[in-house]
Amino acid sequence: MMANLSNARLRSAASAALALLALHSVSSASSADTFAIQAERVHTGGGQVLKDATVVIADGKIVSILTAGVEAPQGVDVIEHEGDLSAGLIALQDFSGAKGENHDSTRTLMPDADLSHAYHPDHSDFERLLSEGITSIVLAPARASLVGGVTAVVKTHGGRVLKRRAHLQLSLASSSLRHDRFPTSYAGALTEFDERLESEQGAFGEAQAGKLPVVIRADSKHEVQRAVAFAQEHGLKGAIAGASRSGELAASIRDAGLGVIYRPFTLGMESRSLRSVALLAEAKVPFGFGLEAPLRHPASLRLSAAACMRAGLDAKTAWRALTEDAASIAGVESSVGVVAAGKDADLVLWSAEPLDLGSSVVAVYVDGLRAFGGDQ
Amino acid sequence: MMIHDSKRGPWRAICATALAATAIAAIGPRGVALGTSGDEAETTWKIYADQVFTEPGNVLENCLLLVQDGKIKALAAGRSVSDDDDVISVACVTAGMVDASAGLHTGYTSVEQSQEIQPQRRAQDSLDVFDHRWHRQARSGVTTTIVSPYDRNVIGGLSVAVKTAGSDTVADRIVAADVCVRGAIGSLPSSGNRPWGRPTDFYQRRPTTRMGVEWEWRKAMYDAGFAAQDESRAFDGSAELGSVLAGETPLCIQAWATQDVRTAIFLKEEMQAEGFGEINLIVDAAAEAWKEPDLLVRSNTAVILPPFTAGGRMREGAFMPWGAAKTLVDLGIRVALSSHGAKPAGARLANQAGFAMRGGLTLDEALAAVTTAPAEMFGIGDQVGKVRTGGAADLVLWNGTPFEATSRIVGVLVDGNLVLDPR
Repeated sequence: MMANLSNARLRSAASAALALLALHSVSSASSADTFAIQAERVHTGGGQVLKDATVVIADGKIVSILTAGVEAPQGVDVIEHEGDLSAGLIALQDFSGAKGENHDSTRTLMPDADLSHAYHPDHSDFERLLSEGITSIVLAPARASLVGGVTAVVKTHGGRVLKRRAHLQLSLASSSLRHDRFPTSYAGALTEFDERLESEQGAFGEAQAGKLPVVIRADSKHEVQRAVAFAQEHGLKGAIAGASRSGELAASIRDAGLGVIYRPFTLGMESRSLRSVALLAEAKVPFGFGLEAPLRHPASLRLSAAACMRAGLDAKTAWRALTEDAASIAGVESSVGVVAAGKDADLVLWSAEPLDLGSSVVAVYVDGLRAFGGDQ
Repeated sequence: MMIHDSKRGPWRAICATALAATAIAAIGPRGVALGTSGDEAETTWKIYADQVFTEPGNVLENCLLLVQDGKIKALAAGRSVSDDDDVISVACVTAGMVDASAGLHTGYTSVEQSQEIQPQRRAQDSLDVFDHRWHRQARSGVTTTIVSPYDRNVIGGLSVAVKTAGSDTVADRIVAADVCVRGAIGSLPSSGNRPWGRPTDFYQRRPTTRMGVEWEWRKAMYDAGFAAQDESRAFDGSAELGSVLAGETPLCIQAWATQDVRTAIFLKEEMQAEGFGEINLIVDAAAEAWKEPDLLVRSNTAVILPPFTAGGRMREGAFMPWGAAKTLVDLGIRVALSSHGAKPAGARLANQAGFAMRGGLTLDEALAAVTTAPAEMFGIGDQVGKVRTGGAADLVLWNGTPFEATSRIVGVLVDGNLVLDPR
């Protein structure tokens, strides 16, 4: 099941007792407190690529990044990788480990339901996420929810909840307006949200006070327009989730200070939607991708970025959407999203350039622990 | 308002204005944008028509129109066609049409069905300005529509008057908000409500018969009447219904068949008899209103007719003959025609005017039924429905006499924007 780390070798920094140490390291490198990975190309973030750099990891964090020629400290095991290394990918809006547990169909409004309690951290869904290089996800309520609860950012290995109460998730999408309970209409939903915000209680109160960002689901273009107007009216911060054509409203989204979370794109997606992503990038609106696994295949995340690039999005922005911009939208940019000293050691070893769909995931580390691939 | 012809001629003044504008930036035949401020592009058009129907009963012959900044800047009759290539030359010009019932709502999401009575919900909260149907309406000569909630409730909410083209922002498209309280009588608000699913299903609380629908109406109006007299009895929507009872906000009720038209009028008359006030009543889709002429006249009820059909048969088992509009207009009843969201190219509002003429309406009466009559019904007669200097440049350009089978709409302007280009 685990892929063989065929093009990564282990090398001891201490030349003495090489064979013995190497043998020892192979079995324990992933759990060692301090180790290093040297890769041919290290994608640190912001489009920067370091050749033959070494990332030193201790206690689950990145300690330092050594440029080519600089040796790792004495006694530190170095994993040598003939390929690319990058930060782990981040899926905004995901249901992994929580499918069927993230929506209460008998309750329309559950603003303080906590998604961090909806998921099973050892669920097999997470192995599939890891196999595509995804190391953090934002757990979101099911699409049928109107006010589904507060989202949680969790790691895909090790069961760590990186952030509870990341956003209050609301919906102004028609798919959340059912016919058999209140509200059935946009006007009804807006009235209810207005009243809840005015009441200043619970998650709505925190959102109103600017302490809790919101994610508002909106599918069609007019729903995005309505959601942006609503957020602006109440001074809410956060992101619009869903609408594939939201790029056509980039200026108003930017003026409202919001981000965008796309649903995963496919290569066959209508070109108008894909082109509109470039408009969003031009307007400097931060955006990332939802994944909605296990309903969608985890490969959809990287495919989404590739689909946008085919339609003209630059590689740098596409990469940011998968990593650091996604981290900002999730409110966890201080921990994840880039390869830098002090950040969590969520690292992916790729066989080649990560945005090249011909590349594959060789190994994944989450909080410094080997979670996928590598030598056994 | 026409500018009187004189020796010097008003057109000279208009040309001077145009020349002055030319000095700022060239006005090409394509209405080149003048000096722009911000995102708004200002546009100037010169239109020459053999006949300009400024309003029903008033025609200006050989008329030049100057459109500037979305308004009609000047009208000058009795001119000869200019050889100036900047002029758009057509046979006739009428005001942009007003569709009193265009069905441009967002369907189920436009109406709050969790309760039968929702007079306070606003259709404008559910508007979709990106819907491709706006474009279809605009190109067929409709420049203003009344958008009502989908008729699934007894009382569905407040309708809004909206331009069919222009800004992508809802607020900028609105001509007037809350132009009427909208509801329905008939089988629609009672259909699909029979109990199903879980026992908590709210459909069980909905009326399932015409009698139940009428009861909901009467209860709501009585409650609102009492609330108007006693503040402690106020409820969500009582203010809106109070405004209806006071005759300030029109009440627009969908009622296809005779019995439903009668129910609507009896409701109005009962409220009047109870001393709650006089409702300004409009019956929409009133295919069989022609069967109750005395009731309509007695109650001063306005009528919006649904689209004509070849055999006269329509929804709710109703029948409407070609002469329906003629019968009502001859009795002095206010009549508007509507497209009801009809998709076929031959069933749009302009075609409805032609059908009504086949049934006996004169050109002026038919023009009124698609312009001034609906505008006045909804209190926006001073904003849209006529061609007048200083008014919004909502214009329909024809290649022949309006509504004739051999005529076609060749151009449309909405607030001075050329949404259908005749050239």
